[in-house]
Amino acid sequence: MILIVGADGAGKRSYAQTLGYAPEDIADGVLDERRAICHVEKLVFADPDAADALLEPLSAKELVICAEVGSGVIPTDTKIRLGRERTGRLCNQLAQRAETVVRLVCGIPMAIKGELP
Amino acid sequence: MMILLTGGSGCGKSSYAEKLCVQFPSPRWYIAAMRPFGEGSEEKIARHRVLRRGKGFETFERYTDVENLVLPQRGTVLLECICNLTANEMYDDMGNVSDPYPRVMAGVEALRRQSDNLVIVTNDVGSDDGDYPESVKEYIRVMGRINAALAARADAVAELVCGIPIVLKGELPI
Repeated sequence: MILIVGADGAGKRSYAQTLGYAPEDIADGVLDERRAICHVEKLVFADPDAADALLEPLSAKELVICAEVGSGVIPTDTKIRLGRERTGRLCNQLAQRAETVVRLVCGIPMAIKGELP
Repeated sequence: MMILLTGGSGCGKSSYAEKLCVQFPSPRWYIAAMRPFGEGSEEKIARHRVLRRGKGFETFERYTDVENLVLPQRGTVLLECICNLTANEMYDDMGNVSDPYPRVMAGVEALRRQSDNLVIVTNDVGSDDGDYPESVKEYIRVMGRINAALAARADAVAELVCGIPIVLKGELPI
């Protein structure tokens, strides 16, 4: 599994396309039969307490794309705060299982684990 | 040595900080700056306690005035975290706001003098552009100044992303 992270608009899906994943190959925030998924953070925010249950199905994907949402002032709203934290934790676990973790900054992919595919 | 760790919420700063500290010699002192009330803090403190269990830390709860904290002996110190310490030094119970910069920096200097290895956890609070009140904007700015000053003094600085340390300065021991 390849994990791609980065801020909103950092170029994560464009980079995924260079790896051969067309837009229709990538599920948008839903778990379905497709081999790739983006906006994992939407899944976590929908139910932060159920984030742990996402680890196994996401680990079975070829490509997982998640926005980095933990930066900035810590929100006072409990659900948003939990969503940010649980998204981060889930990414930590996914990164442990991933062969490769790529972080996008300004459209530039940086391998922070493994090597760029 | 002094190591500064930064990153967003849930990115693995605490786990990595503890992993670093157990590489350094005992005794290990954990300076907890988070007050045990308010949004989710009990849950967070409980989680951090479980993480530290069995790793040989003695905890000092110190929400302000780290400058005058006297450690029983030299050793390894983990300060967590600068964002809480800064907020505690900036806003008092009466709603007064003052410049936390000198007191936070003096606190860190005091810990440096009393330790062989100091690991500091901070937070990236300046990366959103929310519509915040002026006092929060001031907090974001002073956090930026404090982080920059700490990074200048640190031997190594890393940002944690997905639990992976990305070195920004110097070299990490692990």
